Amino acid sequence: MIRRLLSITAPLISALLILSCGGGKGPDALRLALETEPTNLDPAFAVDYSSGWVSSLIHSNLVRFEPDGSLVPDAASGWSISGDGLEYVFRVGGSRFSDGSAVTAVDVERSLMRLIDPSTASPRWWVLEPVVGAPAWHAGRGDRPGIEARDDSTLVIRLSSPAAHFLSLLAMPAAGIVSPRAADSLGRDYGRMPVGSGPWRLASWTSGDDLILERNPFAKSAGQGPPRIEIRLIPETMTRIAEFEVGNLDILEIPPAELELWRAAGVRLLRSPELRIVYIGLNNGKPPFDDPRVRRALNMAVDVDMIIGQLLFGAAQRATGIVPEGLRQSPLPEPLYRYDPEGARRLLAEAGYPDGFSMEIWQRENPESGRVLESVQAFLARAGVEVRIVTREWSAFKQAVDRGTPDAFYLDWYADYPDAGNFLVPLFHSGNRGGGGNRSGFADSAVDSILDLASVEGDPAQRWKLYEEAEERVMEAAPWIFLWFPVRYEVVSHRLEGYEIPVIFNGQRFTGVTLR
Amino acid sequence: MGRYIARRLLLLIPILFGVVTVTFLIMYVIPGDPVLSLVGERYDEETLDRLRGELGLDRPLAIRYVDYLGRVARLDLGRSFVTGRPVMETIRERFPRTLTLAGAAMFIAVAGGLAAGVVAGSGRVPWAGKTLMALTLIGVSIPVFWLGLLLIQLFAIKLDILPPSGYGGGSVRYLILPALTLSFASMATVARVTRAGFLDAGSEDFVRTARAKGLGERAVMGKHVFRNALIPVVTIVGTDFGSYLGGSVLTESIFGWPGLGRLIVQSILRRDFPVIQGAVLFMAILFVLVNLVVDISYGFIDPRIRGEGAKG
Repeated sequence: MIRRLLSITAPLISALLILSCGGGKGPDALRLALETEPTNLDPAFAVDYSSGWVSSLIHSNLVRFEPDGSLVPDAASGWSISGDGLEYVFRVGGSRFSDGSAVTAVDVERSLMRLIDPSTASPRWWVLEPVVGAPAWHAGRGDRPGIEARDDSTLVIRLSSPAAHFLSLLAMPAAGIVSPRAADSLGRDYGRMPVGSGPWRLASWTSGDDLILERNPFAKSAGQGPPRIEIRLIPETMTRIAEFEVGNLDILEIPPAELELWRAAGVRLLRSPELRIVYIGLNNGKPPFDDPRVRRALNMAVDVDMIIGQLLFGAAQRATGIVPEGLRQSPLPEPLYRYDPEGARRLLAEAGYPDGFSMEIWQRENPESGRVLESVQAFLARAGVEVRIVTREWSAFKQAVDRGTPDAFYLDWYADYPDAGNFLVPLFHSGNRGGGGNRSGFADSAVDSILDLASVEGDPAQRWKLYEEAEERVMEAAPWIFLWFPVRYEVVSHRLEGYEIPVIFNGQRFTGVTLR
Repeated sequence: MGRYIARRLLLLIPILFGVVTVTFLIMYVIPGDPVLSLVGERYDEETLDRLRGELGLDRPLAIRYVDYLGRVARLDLGRSFVTGRPVMETIRERFPRTLTLAGAAMFIAVAGGLAAGVVAGSGRVPWAGKTLMALTLIGVSIPVFWLGLLLIQLFAIKLDILPPSGYGGGSVRYLILPALTLSFASMATVARVTRAGFLDAGSEDFVRTARAKGLGERAVMGKHVFRNALIPVVTIVGTDFGSYLGGSVLTESIFGWPGLGRLIVQSILRRDFPVIQGAVLFMAILFVLVNLVVDISYGFIDPRIRGEGAKG
């Protein structure tokens, strides 16, 4: 019996071993990995990181971000802005969709109109909100919005009021230019078969496994960058690390917990402060968090520097302000709240809580946030505040937070585009409470009016002054427990040259990288 | 036998009806709103309402349920809320990969488990038997996640003979590590049960009779002992195989294997109701069918069971 079993299995095992030896790796492809699979490559529906990132490689916009965050022409070869800041005239020409057809101003008009059209039901229509008549059009009433192709090469966009960040909005994935013909004929399937004029076109997409992009031969950037990009879908961090170690990936993000190992190995690490802030939002509408003294006390009770050092291994910068360093025209302020558990106790007593209180902090399932919150829990306990950590998965977490259910929640905010206003306005303008981004329900009419002024201010220096003033007021009101700005670390393979971590996630299109 | 199978297949109908109803209700009871996973970090109520309308989520629960039942009856599982792709198409794409992984894992489990169980149970090589049983104890208790990472470390990084992860377009090289990882617990259980079956059957009267009538040891072991030890093995294999066919979340995640398990987990996290319902329904059908095959196969191994089945 044993011999018979062996006689069946032995040849099979040896066959498997023979098959397992050798095997080719794509030498001409840039090999990248994503943790989650894109859901939809249609710019109008690309709301998650992966979808927006891949969609940006495939579609061009009127303008785009460089890796350093600066804005440069993309499908538009140039533009002019009227003196009152209300009219933008773009010159369109010289680029082609991946099906070979030319990108005209009429195509751009149709593509942008598609985004705000109510029948498209795009969750990202708000990217074009500053356009005159766009909100009414999206709501299904009113006259045609101010997007008009004067001829094949001239596109005019009129705004309802000056918006200093409008060009940045046009560089977001949602404003990617789709081939109107493909979008019409493919309908909902466009998200899996996109036709853009970006540097890459989708060659194949094996669900759950990988996406292969190849150079778009008709793109303005044709011939630049590696011939192909292989994007593997690898959900596990440790597996991605293993793939990099065996030479199957060209770029790897290093999680903070692994940093020491890689530093010790003497590998050259790329470092880039992220345009992202991590915070514990306090429910400003709910007692006792409606009292600014309580909120300040909570900020004094947590030793943020210690958490950054011990739990994040230094891979973060303390958020002593709200706007990350890369978007500031002045340095980050000195910390307003220093770790002082005794002071926190006194302030709580002053606010009427001499014996502290108990509260819940909600988090989404995530090992890192678990470790951070346990340490916050311990710090707050020293100030007499008893914390219960409540864990929900993303969908349930988001629903509860947006409804204002939890006392507090651990969350972060990524910039959609590199602009100070993209932090302060969604996060603290009272008009954005709930799903708009202001999930702590902070409301201060003075902050609102400063932010309103800033968003129409054309002079960047003046604008920054206003933002700084709003930031100072918010820091004093302490609607959150302010935590940190994460720092991203990446390591690249020896054969990759010319790569840098982009400031904004869709700022790296890989046309400037080469493989040795 | 024919009537038995027909009856079992008919039983599928109430089971599937139950599965459809329970998954449908669970989806709407658990917290979390599917439209929230469609809008990103920033949205307004108007957009949510419009999306709810698009997806038909603004209709009363009872109407949605009846509508869903009607569509399932017409074999239409709908389209994913998130990707807009037909659910059937997604399952058709994912299932063959899950089947490949499950099949390979089951093959390793049965071949390795039987071999180890026979060696340990026959008692011919005592030291090998003891070692194997110690190994099986590790096998049933080792966490899949850890085992997967260990295998990657050994075969992909240290020895560099297998790829760490991925599907590789169906290449066997990519299948080996996930299949081995997935098979480990089953292999250990099969080995232990086979050994126990051997030891039990070895002291049975019919074995003594067989030896007494002068049958050779090989015939006694192969025809009498082995066949009797096989019944519980088939049960284990059937149950494990049935659950592997539903996708193996951990193994698929560690190895980036694009199977059903990862699809279901992603869909649950995104509250992608049509995909969850479709996939669960599909799994339920498979599970019932695999169990039916297992029950039928008992009859071939043990004629006494076949008799009962025919009578029933």
